[in-house]
Amino acid sequence: MVFIGIFGIVALSLNLEFGFAGLANFGKVAFFLIGAYTYALLSQIGVPFYLCLIAGALVSAIFGLVISLPALRLRMDYLAIAILAFGEILRLIVKSEDWLAGGDWGVTVSPAISLAGASHRVDALINIGLVYFCLIICFTVVQLLANSPYGRAMRAIREDEIAAEALGKDRSKYKAQALMLGSAMAGIAGGLYAQYLHCVLPGMFMPMITFTVWIMVLLGGPANNWGVLLGAALVEIFDRGTNIAKDYFTLPIDPNDLQYILFGALIILILLYRPQGLLKESTIKIKGLMLARNARGAVKDKGS
Amino acid sequence: MQEALLRIKEVSKHFGGVYAVNGVSLDLNHGGICGLVGPNGSGKTTLFSTILGLHRPDQGEIYFNGKCINNLAPHQIYDLGVVHAFQLPRLFHSLSVLDNMLVAARGQQGDRLFNSLFRRRRWQEQEQGLVQEAQNILELVELDQLAFSPAGELSGGQRKLLEVARGLMAKPTLLLLDEPAAGINPVLGRRMFEKLRDFSHNGTAFFIVEHRLEILFEFASWVYVMDKGQIVITGEPQTIIDDPTFYTIYLGEE
Repeated sequence: MVFIGIFGIVALSLNLEFGFAGLANFGKVAFFLIGAYTYALLSQIGVPFYLCLIAGALVSAIFGLVISLPALRLRMDYLAIAILAFGEILRLIVKSEDWLAGGDWGVTVSPAISLAGASHRVDALINIGLVYFCLIICFTVVQLLANSPYGRAMRAIREDEIAAEALGKDRSKYKAQALMLGSAMAGIAGGLYAQYLHCVLPGMFMPMITFTVWIMVLLGGPANNWGVLLGAALVEIFDRGTNIAKDYFTLPIDPNDLQYILFGALIILILLYRPQGLLKESTIKIKGLMLARNARGAVKDKGS
Repeated sequence: MQEALLRIKEVSKHFGGVYAVNGVSLDLNHGGICGLVGPNGSGKTTLFSTILGLHRPDQGEIYFNGKCINNLAPHQIYDLGVVHAFQLPRLFHSLSVLDNMLVAARGQQGDRLFNSLFRRRRWQEQEQGLVQEAQNILELVELDQLAFSPAGELSGGQRKLLEVARGLMAKPTLLLLDEPAAGINPVLGRRMFEKLRDFSHNGTAFFIVEHRLEILFEFASWVYVMDKGQIVITGEPQTIIDDPTFYTIYLGEE
């Protein structure tokens, strides 16, 4: 449950960047990592958890902005490679620089809200509440953006950035903002991840996380926020499910590798047979537009 | 004398060794329809792109309303009111026809990040007005029935019409049209030009590249003829028709 919520947030942030603005962010894990480490380091010196989360979001957003400056001059595929490399570099830095965050040993994080003598079950419920509270905020933000002239401009840039620029949309501004906002959300998710697992280790931030989030978005349906949440839920259930199932079967190959293989096959199948994802791109819903559409529907009904 | 709306002074643009536009100067006045003709490859489209800021001129200056716009980004030039409809329509295919129109509206409150989240009331009213305007324009080009279909489903001619309609949606001071009548049936093409003339009476200036001379010459009040990157003939449509060099350049007749 908690993982669905956390990765739901990351998937939403990628949806904002890729689904709406068309930015292929293959370094999602980097911003996740920044959020997690910011949270961990700040909570170690006694900062309250909500400030840690906000700080994680801010630091991530700043990195998002910094990355966007050189990256947005690149074409989509080169952008993907550049950000992918950025994520790996960051992971290797926290791994090898012991003074920064304990290197391989990581940082231990105390739980955000601990009630004296509370059982595991209560702890889990608190975590679920916290994660889903953040998820709802992020979902609302992305949903509001998607259904506004701002979201329309972003989609236009995704479709044809030269035309959008010629129609008065400052594409670099939109892209930088999308990357910033997306990174901030990934940062929040990273903070939640750190506090749920009570520690951060470099090994938790392998590039595989980025790809898992991509599967969520592609499976659920890019540019459809509900679809992306559905994708996140399905992929997490599959992930946990196979993790549990591997204890009951003996396989000729390493079950972890098998999981990666299945993920790979899944991506190929989605892209081949249902490139739009499970749910189609959502239409833009704005009051004025909806009124016009309903009026049109009424006229049609009369005619038939 | 009234200051020209658009003044192009000695503008050149070359790609590699080829001069696409070579020392072009021209003035465009407020309102009215002005034509630009010339054989393929004579630099008409490049001249347009240079005005729009998609290319930066190598030499010369471009003034709009007395302001030099050489170094402005395309979206800034757009905000000033210089709008363009591409020769090959560049629509946003997965967006609806109506949304394509709405992207083009100038001065939208809701296309800023902050406003879209926190000042929703402010642009929602504006949006209603814009939807109405967009539908009126779509009616003019007979696309109102398709307002909610994805633009990618339109036929070639309809795409062209939408491209022009999208330009009108911005309420431009100057609208550059690159072959608006190409690929559109003759009756509708004529009617579109009639509509454009109505708009020009309301103060929009048009600068139009068009190979359908019979239509263009009927509606344009002034025509520039380009060849090999230079303006070779200027005048009212009748003067152009009477000029023998026009035939050699354009029709290849001796």
